[in-house]
Amino acid sequence: MDPSASQFIDLQAGNVLALLAIGFVGGLVSGFIGSGGAFVLTPAMMSMGVPGIVAVATNLCHKFPKALVGAYQRNKYGHVDVKLGLVMAASAAVGVWVGADIQHQIKESFGEPGSNLYVSLAFVIVLTVVGGYVLHDAIAVYRSGRSDEQDRVSRLARWVQSVEIPGTMMHFRTANVRVSALFTLPLGFATGLLASAIAVGGFIGVPGMMYVLGVTGLVASATELVIAFVMGFGGTIKYALHGLVDIRLAMILLAGSLFGIQLGVIGTTYVRPFMIKVVMAAIMLIVAVSRGLAVPVYLTELGSLDLAPRTMAQLHTASFAFLVLALCTGGIIIIAAMLRGHRLGAVPLKEPAPE
Amino acid sequence: MERSKPYPQLIASGIASGILYVLLYLYEREVMEAFTRTDGWYPALPVLAAPVFSFAHGVFTASFWEVLGVKGRTK
Repeated sequence: MDPSASQFIDLQAGNVLALLAIGFVGGLVSGFIGSGGAFVLTPAMMSMGVPGIVAVATNLCHKFPKALVGAYQRNKYGHVDVKLGLVMAASAAVGVWVGADIQHQIKESFGEPGSNLYVSLAFVIVLTVVGGYVLHDAIAVYRSGRSDEQDRVSRLARWVQSVEIPGTMMHFRTANVRVSALFTLPLGFATGLLASAIAVGGFIGVPGMMYVLGVTGLVASATELVIAFVMGFGGTIKYALHGLVDIRLAMILLAGSLFGIQLGVIGTTYVRPFMIKVVMAAIMLIVAVSRGLAVPVYLTELGSLDLAPRTMAQLHTASFAFLVLALCTGGIIIIAAMLRGHRLGAVPLKEPAPE
Repeated sequence: MERSKPYPQLIASGIASGILYVLLYLYEREVMEAFTRTDGWYPALPVLAAPVFSFAHGVFTASFWEVLGVKGRTK
């Protein structure tokens, strides 16, 4: 398929500055919670008029080298379980490949509004369900008064760790868990499938590792960077074969996000473990609202709804406002938590050494 | 003893990163044409260019925070 010129926007100075700024905050969030910059970047590019599929392709292209930098940095602090990351990434790569095909077919059948609607709906459903659960857990940890402690292992994770399936058991040293590969495979596949749709597999990967496998938030968020690298790399190849990567946008995003990701990584060494969940939940839920407001617009474009142009414009503006709110909220919570951790100077800085 | 700040690294990587971005800006049309072609080895271009930018700019941003005195706690 050859790309048409209309798929690539004219770059204005305002757009470049906006991309640098959202790239920075997106990177800050990614460095801190392991993924997640992309859930802001994809809709932000779409708000500038970039088609959904090009926004996803471009996002993946800026993400894989950024994730590599982040993983390398967090490995220095002992947060990364490389083996778990690679095992998850192997099945995630299959998920990305399958997901990219689905995305491509939707665009062929329903055109650009169909593709945009699919991306937005995937956002709303996943962010609401997973974000709501992570928030519930973060509140529970806070109320228990044990926010300084490492994460508790969920009941589901205890069961998963207790299941012995001969020939499939794997031990992950840094994460300090021993589980069957039969649990990591579907988790990785789902992570990849989501990544191909919205460029953020981490919203399944990180909570999945935490609540299904029993990995702590710090290790899960750092290990996700390994998965993000592999998926971003595979996804970029797939989309580049269709000529859908806008290298200008990708490199501008990278310029801002490399500043952000390194600051976010540094931030994880200053905060209490449960703060990762707080930031993740807050941002996920606000972005869900932002994308939810855009759904009626795409439904109108597909002819399923009949909204006045003025209403569509208002929804568009409101959607973008919530996106900015999510960005600012994430950035402010991270910076405030870093400053507080720095001032108190008494929080645990590293995972306890695995046995 | 405190390590000296990596000013030479900051300057060298800053220049390398700057050159890459200036080239991308000056040859925007040609780059977009080549990088969105779907025949032959052209699809490899974005896949290869991203890590090159990332390396140069990543070293620059890491040195930038270090020079500012912002670094993670390892102990």
